[in-house]
Amino acid sequence: MKSDRRFIDENGKVLMLGNEALVRGCLEAGVSYISQYPGTPTSDIGEYFHQVLRESPDLKEYLVHQWAVNEAVATSSCAGAAWTGVRAFNPMKHVGLNVASDALSVIALNGPNPGAMVIGVGSDPGSLGSHQEQNERFYAWMLHLPTIEPHTPQECKEWVKLAFDLSEKYDLVINLRTSTRSAHSRGFVELEPLIKGKGKGEFIRNIPKFNSLPPHAINNHVRLYERIERLRKAIPDLGLNKIYPGDNKIGIITSGMPFGYTMEALLQLQLYDVPILKLGMIYPLNYQEITNFIQDLEKIIIIEELEPFLEMKISEIAQIKKMNIEIIGSEYFPKFNEFSTGLVATTLANIFHKKPNEQMIKAIDYFNSYKEMIPSRFPTFCAGCPERATLYSILKATNQLENTVVCGDIGCYVMSFFPPQQCSDLIICMSGGLSAAIGMSTKTDQKVLAMIGDSTFFHTGLSPLAEAIGYNSNILLIIFDNAWTAMTGHQNDVLRYLINKDFSIEKVCKTWGVPWLRVEDSYNPKKLTKSIEDALNAKGLKVIIIKRECGLQAHRYRMKQIRRIESQGKKVQEEIYHITGCQMCHECSRILSCPAIRRVEIDGYETMQIDDDRCIRCGVCYQICPNGAIHKSTLNLLCEEVPFRH
Amino acid sequence: MKPIETDIINIVIAGTAGQGVITLKRLIEFAAQKSDVERVFGSEMHGLAQREGAITSHTRYQKKIFKDERRNLQSPLICYGDADLYICLEPVETLRRGIFASQKTTFVLNEYDIPGVMITADLEAYPQLDKIVEILKEYSNNVHTINATKICLNKLNSNLMVNIFMLGYAIPTGKIPFIDVGHYEEVIKDWLRDPDINIKALHLGIDEGKKVNYS
Repeated sequence: MKSDRRFIDENGKVLMLGNEALVRGCLEAGVSYISQYPGTPTSDIGEYFHQVLRESPDLKEYLVHQWAVNEAVATSSCAGAAWTGVRAFNPMKHVGLNVASDALSVIALNGPNPGAMVIGVGSDPGSLGSHQEQNERFYAWMLHLPTIEPHTPQECKEWVKLAFDLSEKYDLVINLRTSTRSAHSRGFVELEPLIKGKGKGEFIRNIPKFNSLPPHAINNHVRLYERIERLRKAIPDLGLNKIYPGDNKIGIITSGMPFGYTMEALLQLQLYDVPILKLGMIYPLNYQEITNFIQDLEKIIIIEELEPFLEMKISEIAQIKKMNIEIIGSEYFPKFNEFSTGLVATTLANIFHKKPNEQMIKAIDYFNSYKEMIPSRFPTFCAGCPERATLYSILKATNQLENTVVCGDIGCYVMSFFPPQQCSDLIICMSGGLSAAIGMSTKTDQKVLAMIGDSTFFHTGLSPLAEAIGYNSNILLIIFDNAWTAMTGHQNDVLRYLINKDFSIEKVCKTWGVPWLRVEDSYNPKKLTKSIEDALNAKGLKVIIIKRECGLQAHRYRMKQIRRIESQGKKVQEEIYHITGCQMCHECSRILSCPAIRRVEIDGYETMQIDDDRCIRCGVCYQICPNGAIHKSTLNLLCEEVPFRH
Repeated sequence: MKPIETDIINIVIAGTAGQGVITLKRLIEFAAQKSDVERVFGSEMHGLAQREGAITSHTRYQKKIFKDERRNLQSPLICYGDADLYICLEPVETLRRGIFASQKTTFVLNEYDIPGVMITADLEAYPQLDKIVEILKEYSNNVHTINATKICLNKLNSNLMVNIFMLGYAIPTGKIPFIDVGHYEEVIKDWLRDPDINIKALHLGIDEGKKVNYS
């Protein structure tokens, strides 16, 4: 394998994802400090910074990347760094902005100077990797965050550099807003020289600027308006907004990824004369720039995903400037879900009274007619996942959730609600499950169970746990202590640092005085089931910590050990699970539901079969089979045993 | 019709998590770069889709771009009914995202099925392979199936290279134009851990593909 030089080379043309290009742009802008909590679609940004620091360790003097415990901490950390006069970057997913907004509302007011601060919000229209979709552009207006929306990886790189310059020049926090689509689309990027960030800065005391309390709060608010107005004036010279001229009396205003869909939709419809204003900066807007574009037009179509932000802001400008023009958008386009070229093309065909491309209509009609026969394939837990095994024990201990409410949360276990297990009744937000359980348990006699993962626990779970202890809430809290932020891709994050420092959830619970506490292993399902039964029969707060490493990581580590031993010419002990005499009771497929088990037909008889390639040897199915049909054999009995690490 | 250099080339790759859909997309893109393609823009999914889920990726490139940006590749997603080639690593995944295919689309399909947990639990039914192929053939004249998983297990002793094998199988269709086989080999050497066996899988696929009478 060749080494990846895309973050090292000083020039050239390379292929990059939007997120990779953002990182490259930061390195070309002399960024000094990055802090973030992982979350799709921005998790990989931190991984690229870590790659850079691994490849060029001498950069550590100039560049610090920290995985924060949550987004509010990350945002304030970035502000702290920026206030020493350096450039700070703060990526987060769209819902991360909700967590960070409390801090950000003050930081934006104070301003990031003498340094610069850029936040990189990854929006998620279509909820492709999130528990909800929201149009966080409204924060731009509320908190005065100038917002730039790139469309290609080249723009991601160019514009994040520009964002740092603007932040520094106007004392504003700039939002470089991507989406799941633009963050994870690949295109060419022209490299420019790298600039080392400042190694050290210095905080210079400025009480009015950094203490937004009366009377300074109002003064800073006034100053914020002045800063925004200065930027608004400068917009036409920034090169962010671009007009594609045309003679049609109907024009289009759009930005970001919807611009790409729009261009190709017009190509599909053979509409080559529609004038388009592509906005690179969607907040603030320069009034003159907008009125210049719309003044000779009869109708404007605003093409934007989710709630109509631009439609509202452009209608506002038209009203202020007393312009008589029809502005449409959200009455034709959906206000939910992600857009696509096909969707924009069919909608524009309707507006322009054009016939949509025939092959497109045929494709939609033909394949939609077979939708019913396509089986579902939702994301689920990996083979051998300790969380899946825990759900099995919950289902068994509660007789399939009889008189039981399970408050779910964010992490891999967010998938608990999917069939066939369906072991989660509600999801709110990071640590929202435990919080909901506190209130719910005061109002129902049902058994209330809450689940939380270790990373979520440190993110925002400590506070509701303290409250649950305080009130001795009648809840069973199950904490998945799997040692990784698994859902976002096992980042080497703060959780790992805590583990390395021997800081454990068990210690927190013990010190804080959790009245009923057990530590269990979900790879021992019968014992765990019994513990859950005991807990649900007890009153007050009960906590069960499931201590078992993420199956994916444990398996990877174990295979590495095995390969190492085998490369020395030695053999290792090998466990194999196989099924004979299967009664097709479906205990393993419906209640445990491990994807390493497959239903097959052999000689006309149906049986379950274990896929040796996917089975990680957790042994749970072997322990739970009610008919003893799952067997274990051990090969190379006298050779070295390689157990899962614990 | 033979593609010309200004055409936007549209390739859909569909499969399930772990089959190497994203790796295959990257290989084609990096090989396109080596072949001096002027624009590449394609979308891949990260995150939730990793876990046993259905995955589709869109690979798009344009060898020569027009001066007029309105005629160029601008979106990382293919329009409905606009795919030139559909590489399907798992049968039913072909139907799930079929709407990107037109009646001119060439389908290359791995016959080996990966049923999800709902099929194993006998709570949903997996359609017969013959039925899937029949639906595709009723729509397009260019549907070619092969049990790539079986061939890879037999000849390479692993099913990990099914994606690369299917790329090879698709190359003789001519629907991935302007990219040399040598460029795939270079990219495999640059980016993959076991280049030798992957290059072997690529050529195994090409040999099988050459046996097909692609129209």
